[in-house]
Amino acid sequence: MTDPERAPSAEELAAVVVPDEPEPPAPPPETLTPEQREEAARRAEQDRRDRQLVRRLKQGDEAAFRELVHTYQNRIFGLMLRMIGNRQEAEDLAQEVFIIVYRAIGNYRGEGRFYTWLYRVATNTCKNRIKYLKGRNFHRTEDIDETPQAQMPAAEGGAVVTFQSQVPGPEAMHEGARMESIVQRELAALDPDHRLLIVLRDVQGMSYQDIIKITGLQEGTLKSRLHRARLALKERLEPYLR
Amino acid sequence: MAKPETPNAEQLMSAYLDAELGADEEKELQQMLAGSPEAKAELGKLQSMLRLVKGLGEVEAPPDFYEKVAKKIRRRKWLRGEYLVALSLPFQILSVLVILLVAVIYMMLHLDFDAGRRKLERDPTVQQTKAPPPVAPDGGAAQ
Repeated sequence: MTDPERAPSAEELAAVVVPDEPEPPAPPPETLTPEQREEAARRAEQDRRDRQLVRRLKQGDEAAFRELVHTYQNRIFGLMLRMIGNRQEAEDLAQEVFIIVYRAIGNYRGEGRFYTWLYRVATNTCKNRIKYLKGRNFHRTEDIDETPQAQMPAAEGGAVVTFQSQVPGPEAMHEGARMESIVQRELAALDPDHRLLIVLRDVQGMSYQDIIKITGLQEGTLKSRLHRARLALKERLEPYLR
Repeated sequence: MAKPETPNAEQLMSAYLDAELGADEEKELQQMLAGSPEAKAELGKLQSMLRLVKGLGEVEAPPDFYEKVAKKIRRRKWLRGEYLVALSLPFQILSVLVILLVAVIYMMLHLDFDAGRRKLERDPTVQQTKAPPPVAPDGGAAQ
């Protein structure tokens, strides 16, 4: 683990903080389905709120920063947990992302969505940490679902184990937790680029447009790489598929 | 893994899994699956795999997540000396004011002495010039 008190240097900051790019114009509302229109409205409202919070944060408003962290902490922590597979490391890394955002908010010009800029910072930070951990032969000492926290309800600081809710019955809880552990283990064994695409698309349910913004991949490359990632994970999970 | 025969099978399956197939593509996929049990099995396994992955669901950050972030930010500000600069500024201003005050007091105390610590006398000519000439009782100037 890196020293938590060590502030990232200007070079490290520049490596993970990328300038935001203007968003492409939104499609005309008449071409959208009612669900798409609803989604676009929700998205526009979230962007408007984010822009206000960012403007206040740039003026030094700590309450705006608190609100931004509360809005995105679960998603960023979830991304890190699925990418790294270790709760403590994921928490440390997610905190690091928000510290970088706090320091580098001046670099965000407000031309693109804050949400995708934040994810770009998060994915770059995560990739750097994976490289660092690889160089130091980091091995997870605890599987995420073997930690006591993972078995606790979310309100008490634990993970939400949705596998358990899929199958009713008390004995199914153990089976659900075991399956989640297996999926997480096999996911962590994938190439980091493949892992990232699976986490963004299939775990966090992001749209292709957002993933393109975050990863900088072309649409064709993204789709074919995601398909290869899914095939690789399917191979690894083959014994558990029914 | 058996490779499906249709050249764009990969894209079709991928789009099917993402529920992004158009009507024509859906028809093309169904034809492909009808002619290839391997492709059908492959797609079935991909769907099962995706169900497992999507079952991972969301996780929640610890309740004190923000407090930890804020604490780290404060600690790093201390380490970088940002707080020290802010703290030292009033002291710097105070030091300058104290120095000025001491200088003023020193000057006031030593105003009546020359460089050789001798007390300065009043210039008698200045006194003479300033004093009004005495007036005689008969209206003439005093001798």
